Amino acid sequence: MLSPGYVARRVLHALVVLAVVAVVTFFIVRLAPGGPSLLADPALRDAERAAIEARLGLGDPLPVQFLKFVGNAVRGDFGQSFLFGTPTLQVIGSRLGNTLILAGAALTLTLLVAVPLGTLCGLRPHSWLDRLVSVVSVVVLAVPVFWLGLMLIIALAVLRPVLPAGGMHTTGMEGNVPDLLRHLLLPAVVLASASIAELLRYTRSSVRSAARLDHVRTARAKGLPQHAVNRRHVLKNALIPVVTVIGLQLPRLVGGAAVTETIFAWPGMGRLSVEAALGRDYPLILGVTLVVALAVVLFNLLVDLLYPLIDPRVRMEA
Amino acid sequence: MKRMLTALSFALGVGVAGAQQGILQLPLINDPIMNPLIAPELGSILVNKVIFPGLVRPNEDLQPVPDLARSWTITNGGLVYTFTLRDDVRWHDGRPFTADDVVFTFNTARDPKSGSRLASDFSSIKSVEARGRNTVRFVLSRPFAPFLILLGHNAGILPKHLLEGKDLNSATAFNRQTPVGTGPFKVSRVVPGASVTLVANRDYYGGAPKLAGITFKVVPDLNTQVAQLRSGGLDWVTLEPSNLPSVQGAQNVTIKQADAIQHYLVFFNLKNPLFTSATVRRAMQYAVNRRAIIDGILKGYADYPTGTIPTALRTYYDKSIKPITYDPAQARRLLAQAGWRPNAQGVLVNAKGEPFKFTLIVDKGNATREQAALAVQQDLKKVGMDVTLQTLEFATLVRDYLIPGKYDANLIWWTTPPDPDQYSFYGTGQDNNEASWSNPRADSLLKRGRETVDVAARKNIYNAYQRLTMQDPPVLVLYYPKELQAISRRLIGVPDLGIRDALRYTERFDLR
Repeated sequence: MLSPGYVARRVLHALVVLAVVAVVTFFIVRLAPGGPSLLADPALRDAERAAIEARLGLGDPLPVQFLKFVGNAVRGDFGQSFLFGTPTLQVIGSRLGNTLILAGAALTLTLLVAVPLGTLCGLRPHSWLDRLVSVVSVVVLAVPVFWLGLMLIIALAVLRPVLPAGGMHTTGMEGNVPDLLRHLLLPAVVLASASIAELLRYTRSSVRSAARLDHVRTARAKGLPQHAVNRRHVLKNALIPVVTVIGLQLPRLVGGAAVTETIFAWPGMGRLSVEAALGRDYPLILGVTLVVALAVVLFNLLVDLLYPLIDPRVRMEA
Repeated sequence: MKRMLTALSFALGVGVAGAQQGILQLPLINDPIMNPLIAPELGSILVNKVIFPGLVRPNEDLQPVPDLARSWTITNGGLVYTFTLRDDVRWHDGRPFTADDVVFTFNTARDPKSGSRLASDFSSIKSVEARGRNTVRFVLSRPFAPFLILLGHNAGILPKHLLEGKDLNSATAFNRQTPVGTGPFKVSRVVPGASVTLVANRDYYGGAPKLAGITFKVVPDLNTQVAQLRSGGLDWVTLEPSNLPSVQGAQNVTIKQADAIQHYLVFFNLKNPLFTSATVRRAMQYAVNRRAIIDGILKGYADYPTGTIPTALRTYYDKSIKPITYDPAQARRLLAQAGWRPNAQGVLVNAKGEPFKFTLIVDKGNATREQAALAVQQDLKKVGMDVTLQTLEFATLVRDYLIPGKYDANLIWWTTPPDPDQYSFYGTGQDNNEASWSNPRADSLLKRGRETVDVAARKNIYNAYQRLTMQDPPVLVLYYPKELQAISRRLIGVPDLGIRDALRYTERFDLR
């Protein structure tokens, strides 16, 4: 089993990563040109602009601002969002759940489509199915997400209005699950599309290489039926790298949904990060970045912890 | 395929829920701040127009007519405004609206420390006091003709009983979730990042609204807004000319244009010696083919400019002024007069052989402005100027270039209240005069214009100012844009105004 030392090392690692992300993000966003969008109205008079700057605490020198940020952050206070006027964590909290719903749906779709299809293609290379899937997945990977999203909206919401063009609920039907599912379908498909294509290709090649391993050949030579060979030897070995790839997809689904969420007016973290960046909402940019960094670290940790469970060789090293 | 789609729609609870009965659906690009004194952008301003009426509102000629005020008198040579308020108004929480609310609102609005973004609009107020329950008296420190127009522009009245003694920006619950106004619709539900739902205010002083409610939906992407308009998920979208083809074929949508009180322009930094000569700036008016920009880039949805006062200000705009049309030969002649002659390579140089070289900046991401800037650059190149085009993100452009005055030329726009007063934009040394233009005669006209209450006399003043700016152009005005509205054919009762002013009349809107 996992040693407590191993887990402690990994957690410490995670904390260091988060601290570094916080410091780097703090200085990069402050040193970037421009400033909070609240100040970017050219018609503002000097007195009004000065009042806003004072309120946002932008008058202090950068190192002072940083020390204040660290002091508050260790107490769990990440400051007030400039744009929303509410504590950053509260703003993020109101959006995180929505993103997890979308990311969860996209991940489920990805797993349901990519793993079985990739496995089939890997076991039957160069079949008609394999060729078709490979062409389609290359096309999906090449197509920009926003284009795919708009095409689906035009096809399924405008020309043939079967699904809503955006949003998370029909107004007034918040909390209605079928309504949520209808709104979820298009963005989840779009968000999952690239992940499906990627994971599918990966699963296929992983299955192919596993099928060529010596012990698989031996098993076959010993007369084990093909389906048993596949199940016991090929798939088990092929799964290990696939888990890694899934682990890498997760943070992208949580943090990288900006385009999908914008096109489908999905009130999640991805869109929030765009709003924060465009509005130069320093506390919110930091907050969103830290949450996404936390997700990356946690998923990596999860993958690391899962590894020994599925691969005994790793268990030895851990 | 058809069968598959039918099966899909059945599986998901059959079709898109048809638009709810009597609910108008409008887009926003982000969550609004529902407090008219601190609203920073157009979306918030639009929502506030519905929730928070002002003392007056603009009619179709953009002149102020009574709203929360029943009537008013102007005395002491334009220094004292006395308003009689309606006595039948209640806040959305049931409390009566009184003169104290008005006094509170304007005392807060004119104090920049309160976080108010309207401080400069109302800096002319010396005192405001309640004279009884339904009378408010404003005393101005100097006659200020735009005062009434500004009262009808963004100055919605706030409830004293909920906001007194609070920092406006920290009143998050009020600003984001439960604003209380006196308008025809009141907020019933806010879903962050998704929507703001308003229901009809049955106690509205102007009679019950026709619509059951209004939903402002957060839809950040303009293409998605258009898609939602076509599928019935939205009823009114304002467009860029480049979006026109995507709605032109739609059966359920009609295109309307409204006057926008804006002028799009190129600022020249007059601290740069290249631009100090009025002759050079006049030459540029001949050098840039503004007709081509209007017809090509704006698809005709703009008026040809004569000076900085847009045609939308019908009362004050002088139609008799002959516009300066594209004439590159005349531009070259004027430039030669100002000492700029082409060298062997065709680049304009002065007597010392220095080239006419500068950078034109424009904000990134708006196709109309980027293309217009490109057209300006190409036209100026044709008369021999060496112009480099630089695109910058808007916040960067304003903060790091425009405000510190670190630029040569800059394509931007001004949106003004429906009043010709442009003193803060073009008066010597004023905050918004980033071009640093200075003309003593213009200063005197602009000062007199804002102090003259009589409309006929004001008209003469602004006509003279408009003529003056044709001779000594403070900036290169490119066009007066039209606001392009794509509106659902179901929506009726909308007055002939731009969306921000039209939303002051939502009690008259209806969906058939």
